[in-house]
Amino acid sequence: MARHKFAVIALAAIALCSTFWALLDVLVNVSHNQIFGVASFENRFDEFRKTVRPHSVYGYVSDNAPNDPSARPEFYLTQYSLAPALVKSTADENLVIVNFHSTKPDYGLLRTNRLAPVQDFGNGVILCRRVQ
Amino acid sequence: MILLVCLAAIWLTGFGLVRWMFPRPLGWSLHSVLLLSLGIGAGAGIASCLYFLSLVAVGPNLAVMASVTGGAAIVALAFGLLNRREGTLLAWAEGPEPPWYLRGLFLLAIALAILTFLVAVSNNPHGDQGAWSIWNLRARFLFRAGAFWRDAFSNDLDWSHPDYPLLLPGLVALCWKLAGESTTAPIAIAFLFALATAGVLTGVLGVLRGKTQALVGGTLLLGTASFIALSAAEYSDVPLSFYFLATLALLCLQDRHPEDLRFSALAGLMAGFAAWTRNEGIIFLAAVIVARVAAALRFRDRSGLAPLAPQMLRLIAGLLLPLAVVVFFKLRIGGASDLWSQKAAVVLQRLADPGRWIMTAQGLVVVIFTLGRFLISIVPVLALYWYLVRFQVQDERDRTALATGVLALGLTLAIQLLMDILFVENLTVEIGTSFERDVLQLWPAGVFLFFLASGPLQLAAAEKPVPGKKTSKKALKPSRRAAETR
Repeated sequence: MARHKFAVIALAAIALCSTFWALLDVLVNVSHNQIFGVASFENRFDEFRKTVRPHSVYGYVSDNAPNDPSARPEFYLTQYSLAPALVKSTADENLVIVNFHSTKPDYGLLRTNRLAPVQDFGNGVILCRRVQ
Repeated sequence: MILLVCLAAIWLTGFGLVRWMFPRPLGWSLHSVLLLSLGIGAGAGIASCLYFLSLVAVGPNLAVMASVTGGAAIVALAFGLLNRREGTLLAWAEGPEPPWYLRGLFLLAIALAILTFLVAVSNNPHGDQGAWSIWNLRARFLFRAGAFWRDAFSNDLDWSHPDYPLLLPGLVALCWKLAGESTTAPIAIAFLFALATAGVLTGVLGVLRGKTQALVGGTLLLGTASFIALSAAEYSDVPLSFYFLATLALLCLQDRHPEDLRFSALAGLMAGFAAWTRNEGIIFLAAVIVARVAAALRFRDRSGLAPLAPQMLRLIAGLLLPLAVVVFFKLRIGGASDLWSQKAAVVLQRLADPGRWIMTAQGLVVVIFTLGRFLISIVPVLALYWYLVRFQVQDERDRTALATGVLALGLTLAIQLLMDILFVENLTVEIGTSFERDVLQLWPAGVFLFFLASGPLQLAAAEKPVPGKKTSKKALKPSRRAAETR
């Protein structure tokens, strides 16, 4: 009987302590603000989203460094925020969304990709047209 | 408020169906708890299939969606509540009452799990990247795109796996269609599936092994930190794990009640909904059929394989509707799978590469030993538990079910790993991001099988016979029959 009692209490104690530990981890995460988290991305694209129509297609360019690990997640977040428009990770579209990490546009990047600004939605989000 | 009504309608659809299959007088009992838990998964699957079929037939029409969802709930409830037949009773297996501290630990596990879930979703209401970039993104397309809902499966979204089945996005999109878009719908659905998984595990263990094993099993599942985190992350792995568990648990009940073939039919339905949840569900569906036949061949009794044929027929009948929906989706709607577009020469090269096999084996070992984010690896803890309690199959009828479960889970995992070896380009990333989730999909069913095979627990001192007082032998011995049929 004591063996069984020990087995059950040990198993339950480890499980409960682990969940409690996980709860503390989650509480620590709550206190960390994520500038480029989903909610903040949704806010950044809020104005742009109001102009989006279903079945529209946009290209996407950002000022992330080529090997920046956050580049892909940010592209995915842009697609998530702007659904039901389709966002393609290319500048070869008629309309291109440019995602800058500062409110001052990098005009060099726009020139390199042959993009002309159409509308600045603030927060580093600019809609551009591809110059032929 | 409308979301609550919508979720209630989905839940009641499932509850009505399972109550129609296993009717008993209404009341607060283990039977009702089990039906309510199974009802969540059944209702979610039915509502999602109906949503998808309505979408294909008439487009995103609010009146049609509302009528179909409400109509299904009313019809299912009418069938469930007006049924006067008395079906198989799912009652607690006889055995000693669990001690107070075990009840306390179980309640504490429930409270901690709910608190962790709520804090996690309040911090991350859109879920983790895998959730918003696949499941919630698909739901947004289905809901927001109107007549262009097929854009959800565009090849431009190939990074978002447009070939994945639609149970979860369909369900979220249905809730949004009826109640408006919010992050509450996917959170509520994630919570309900976690609740249902804990309910089915605890309930079926209670039927087959008694209250004590049920409480220990439930505490272990609810105390698995990464399972709760995965649920709060709104991944589809928890719904999938629910369907895996429900299928195997119902097959165990089938072996205890061979005369009531509805268990096989409902198991088939749950396996079909697993296939409608994720591609891994299709693997599981095939694995469970193979495992069932193999286990029946190995553990057949005097009656031979005769009982297997009607069971398999019911199982297949149960999975036909969801499987038909999956096949239709894959052939006509879903986007191209990145698996089949790969060149045969590359796949063969990967197959012959021993490095990939070794890396996969290493990854699996690491995942198993770190599974669940327990403070101490759960493997030695379970080994110690096994050493102290021992495995002892209490009822001969459980042998086939246990073999079915172990084989089905083993086959599912083995095929998933083989697919990774053959088709995944960057195996290191796959191991780091998906392996733990692959194993966690099997975890609730694994916990169920572990406690089904575990020896009887004696936690309270046996009553000393008092002169003049008759001590019931039944109260001290675990019974061979876990549930009664009336």
